[in-house]
Amino acid sequence: MRIVVCIKQVPGGSQVRMDPVTNTLVREGAKAVTNPFDAYAIELAVRLKAELGAEVVALSMGIPATGALLLDAAARGADRCVLLTDRAFAGADTLATSYTLALGIRRLGGADLVLCGRMAVDGDTAQIGPELAEALGLPHLTEVDAVLEADASGLTVQRSIEGGAKQTVRLGLPALLCVTKEIGFPTMPSIAGVRASRSVAVETFDAEALGADPARIGLNGSPTQVVRTFVPQRGAEALPVEGTAGQQAARLWEIFREVGS
Amino acid sequence: MAGLRISKAACTSCGLCQSACPAGALYIKRKAEVDRDACVLCGLCIEACPMGAITLEKEADAPTVAETTRDVWVFAEGLDGRPHPVAFELLGQARALAAARGGVVAALAMGTGAESWAPPLIEAGADRVYACEGDIFDSGMTEPFAAVLANLIETERPETLLFGATVFGRSLAPRVAARVGTGLTADCTGLDIGADGLLQQTRPAFGGNLMATIITAARRPQMATVRPGVFSAAPRAAGRQGEVVRVQQPTGLVLPQVLKTAPGAPGESIAAARVIVSAGRGIGNQKNLELVRRLAERLGGSMGVTRPLVDMGWAPYPCQIGQTGLAVAPDLLVCCGVSGAIQHLAGMGGAKVVVAINSDPQAPIFGAAHYKVVGDAVEILKQLLAQNKS
Amino acid sequence: MEHPLLQPVTAAYEEYLRDESRAVGQAEAIAFPRDEAEVRAVLRAAADAHMPVTLQGARTGLAAAAVPGGGLVLNLGKLDAVKGMAQEKDGTFTLRVQPGLALSRLRKQIADRRFDTTGWDVASLAAYDAFMAAEEQFLPTDPTETSASVGGMAACNASGARSYLYGPMRRHVRGLRVLLAGGDSLTLRRGQVRAKGRHLALVTDAGRRLDVPLPTYEMPKTKNASGYYIADDMDAVDLFVGSDGTLGVITEVELALCPLPKVIWGASCFFAEEAAALDFVIGLRGQSLAQVAAMEYFDARALDILRRQKRDNPAFAALPPIAPQYSAAVYVELHCASEDEAAEALFATGTAMEAAGGRAQDSWVARTDFDKDTLIFFRHAVPESVNMMIDTRRKAHPGITKLGTDMAVPGAYLKEAMAMYHGMLAEAGLEYAIWGHIGDNHLHVNILPQSQADYEQGKALYAQWAQRVCAWGGSVSAEHGVGKLKADTLRVMVGDAGVRQMAALKACFDPRGLLGVGTMFSPMGGI
Repeated sequence: MRIVVCIKQVPGGSQVRMDPVTNTLVREGAKAVTNPFDAYAIELAVRLKAELGAEVVALSMGIPATGALLLDAAARGADRCVLLTDRAFAGADTLATSYTLALGIRRLGGADLVLCGRMAVDGDTAQIGPELAEALGLPHLTEVDAVLEADASGLTVQRSIEGGAKQTVRLGLPALLCVTKEIGFPTMPSIAGVRASRSVAVETFDAEALGADPARIGLNGSPTQVVRTFVPQRGAEALPVEGTAGQQAARLWEIFREVGS
Repeated sequence: MAGLRISKAACTSCGLCQSACPAGALYIKRKAEVDRDACVLCGLCIEACPMGAITLEKEADAPTVAETTRDVWVFAEGLDGRPHPVAFELLGQARALAAARGGVVAALAMGTGAESWAPPLIEAGADRVYACEGDIFDSGMTEPFAAVLANLIETERPETLLFGATVFGRSLAPRVAARVGTGLTADCTGLDIGADGLLQQTRPAFGGNLMATIITAARRPQMATVRPGVFSAAPRAAGRQGEVVRVQQPTGLVLPQVLKTAPGAPGESIAAARVIVSAGRGIGNQKNLELVRRLAERLGGSMGVTRPLVDMGWAPYPCQIGQTGLAVAPDLLVCCGVSGAIQHLAGMGGAKVVVAINSDPQAPIFGAAHYKVVGDAVEILKQLLAQNKS
Repeated sequence: MEHPLLQPVTAAYEEYLRDESRAVGQAEAIAFPRDEAEVRAVLRAAADAHMPVTLQGARTGLAAAAVPGGGLVLNLGKLDAVKGMAQEKDGTFTLRVQPGLALSRLRKQIADRRFDTTGWDVASLAAYDAFMAAEEQFLPTDPTETSASVGGMAACNASGARSYLYGPMRRHVRGLRVLLAGGDSLTLRRGQVRAKGRHLALVTDAGRRLDVPLPTYEMPKTKNASGYYIADDMDAVDLFVGSDGTLGVITEVELALCPLPKVIWGASCFFAEEAAALDFVIGLRGQSLAQVAAMEYFDARALDILRRQKRDNPAFAALPPIAPQYSAAVYVELHCASEDEAAEALFATGTAMEAAGGRAQDSWVARTDFDKDTLIFFRHAVPESVNMMIDTRRKAHPGITKLGTDMAVPGAYLKEAMAMYHGMLAEAGLEYAIWGHIGDNHLHVNILPQSQADYEQGKALYAQWAQRVCAWGGSVSAEHGVGKLKADTLRVMVGDAGVRQMAALKACFDPRGLLGVGTMFSPMGGI
């Protein structure tokens, strides 16, 4: 059984501010990190590996430096690290990315289970999971909170649907799941795990090795394009409430009463 | 290969592109240079460059746009046997888009009783309703919906297709987009028709720190999802007439099996609260959330939080305000230690009076506030509670 | 009394009558001076009215030094500017900081490299340019409460987990400005004024000469924050660091920064037996790894508190699950120049676990910010939980408080001290948990009284431990300071003669005994 976990490198921290003078975005110490939601996908993969004896592959499309994040997944229990990297992949939107990831999974000989985090914190689209499932021809479920039962033929999972309702679903394998934080706390690597990851090598594939159609990858393969970015207009200046904390609080109660609360 | 081009003649080495680059791919070596291994072609530097020295070039010319109608479609998701409220909100916006394009508005209803949704959808602005009766939809799996939508898109050729960014809409829309090979823009906060006739899809982007306008130039339909609460529903026109097109439900699909559905806990949502006291990272620690909760209680309202607090496990997801949480519209919103990331601001646009408390006088939240309180949120919360002990 | 800077203490100022120790005091007036001239004016007004003066920073202290016992509260919170910057010959950056600035805000300014340079001189601006170009810097002192004020941290010689490598606040204080009770001031730079043996001669800014006889006691050879810092030929700066607001008002602190290590990793190492954890600590310490910045201990009872909290309290749901077989944890923090160096130090830590009978897989390694935040949450959740438990119990028994020790012993007595704590607590049948800075043999034994009787019994144990620890050459308070709550244990450590000599020293700076009444010298009955 093979479980593929998709990982995205995202800018770390929230050290992003607007420069008030130039009105541009300034990023400070924004070290790249693993998309936090993907940590839960890794957690589920490692747990299923312990239960079912699967091979866990950490997969990413990204710049060469992304390899370090895959090795971190190895320290947490992934057996293999696969990085799809090529300058031609740059500028991919979710459609081109899911096409490329699907090629990577096919190159590995397919997967019994593909796991994604519920979304990436930089793009916030939550589209890769369903689009990748479509590209692979697999059924998918989003917002999966728990795997209740697992065997080689299928999984019984619990997921959230509209209005906070919970649904229990049995689905056969192969399949793709987008998992939430409810999966459970991502286990940290142990010293032994970090030691073991030192002997894992990152396997890399470029567009040619994947046999990718140049018109379907990267910027060229992306139907959507950003035509404008801007900082939203600030409204009228807010009225300052000044003084000591006590005086500020007293004024706030007046305001609350004016509003009618 | 597609790539970033920097005009050495126009570059003044000002470094603004470098600070704008989220990938750390730009650096100044006499002139701006790009590390092509690191560049993700996001295009932020293009906006940042005051000299217009940076351009993004695609290799191939865009393929010719497929021939379509000028129609705007709205997927009408069901909720408790009726169309989800977001469908009516989308229809309101769809009317404006279709008017600008000279097309018609169509709604798509699928499920048991779908045909009975046609009158309210038409009264809310649909000119045509594609209704697909069938129990295959009722388990809430995406596959049958995707099959119907992909077929209709191929035969009827809509120019634009909108979904509510509900849990289900966010699962279905990408599946459909990938099947028909088009672009999809998630969680739009603005939809307009540009001078070129293209759908301008605006959403918070790049970690929610600025807004991006996105187009789908060559593929059709142009697809977008929109959070519930972003647009307001158009007033119902009682007795408005429209066309109903019956569609056959798909057959031969093998679906995951739903074993059980348990309703959600009631009363958790803050979407309808009149007063909200919200907390951000500036609240310091989880213990202090209790102060926020108590103030909310005193004001007869609810507590909301920003995404980082949910991510850290300090508060449950139903409390989250923002692009990836709830859009709220209270009469009074008191923001405590909220910095005001755009993705958060996207969820509080409907608030009537906003009071912001933050120790950083430069915090962006003040740009969205009516009252600006510079100070330690925890200290002021303690004072607020101390001064009103009733 | 009438004075434009003084306000009567009304209900609105109730907060200012207590600190994190949860002791509550009383005062007639309070002042929030905005600059040094106003501090001087307030001191003068207090002297004229014979009012005792209690100094306050952010009131995060645990020994009630900032809790007033009547008179005037002088709160320094409004003096919160960074006044300038310098770069020393060896490249070290120093900042001149006013006492009321919160550590969290100072950290943010340093990390963002953004300072309000209003009023900075040319030399400071030049140093700022060099700072902008230099590698990232930080202030290593890391008390749990990041809302602590810089002045308070200097006044109590604060420390934190990283003091194992970087020492306490003292090591980072390069200079001080101190206002004395009479309105005179001292400008002190490290290295400029030293004692001769046990005699210190100082000249105030006004040119007045002070001859100060220093006490004759020897300080413990452990981490220590009890009583005045006294040593032969000591630097004058060191006398004021840790003086707990009893000698003068610190109006400016010159702080030395350190380059931020390129790589910081943390590892929580778990053991099935406490004995193995102690062997691990002793073994790892024996290797003298230069990268080990902190070693923090959590005993079985502390881990049990966390397990219960995770189960019962949604606020702690984000704690990682702790395997049932774990009964001791040691958190090790590694500060390294590169990932390779960090890996080497981490693997040495793993080997030390194995040598002590543990297993390298029984550990949590934090290399990402997310994991580091989790480990910080884990470490802070222990004291947080205990405080919550005590607050609940106080509702039924208002007389009880948490009884937390702050004693350090010489390394040779670590196991003996541990055996003493467990043995006597088991015999007394009290609920407790032990955690703390085991790298410095400095553990907080926290007794959790269920009743007033438990509380009295705990206090008696506390006094017995103070005797034993002092006999071993340890310190009665290694980081919190004795403040008002533990002033009596100081007497155990330095003796009656030592306390008398400290009082004589204080009289040189504060002859009318107005500053910090009740701190260090007599147990405060009123609070």
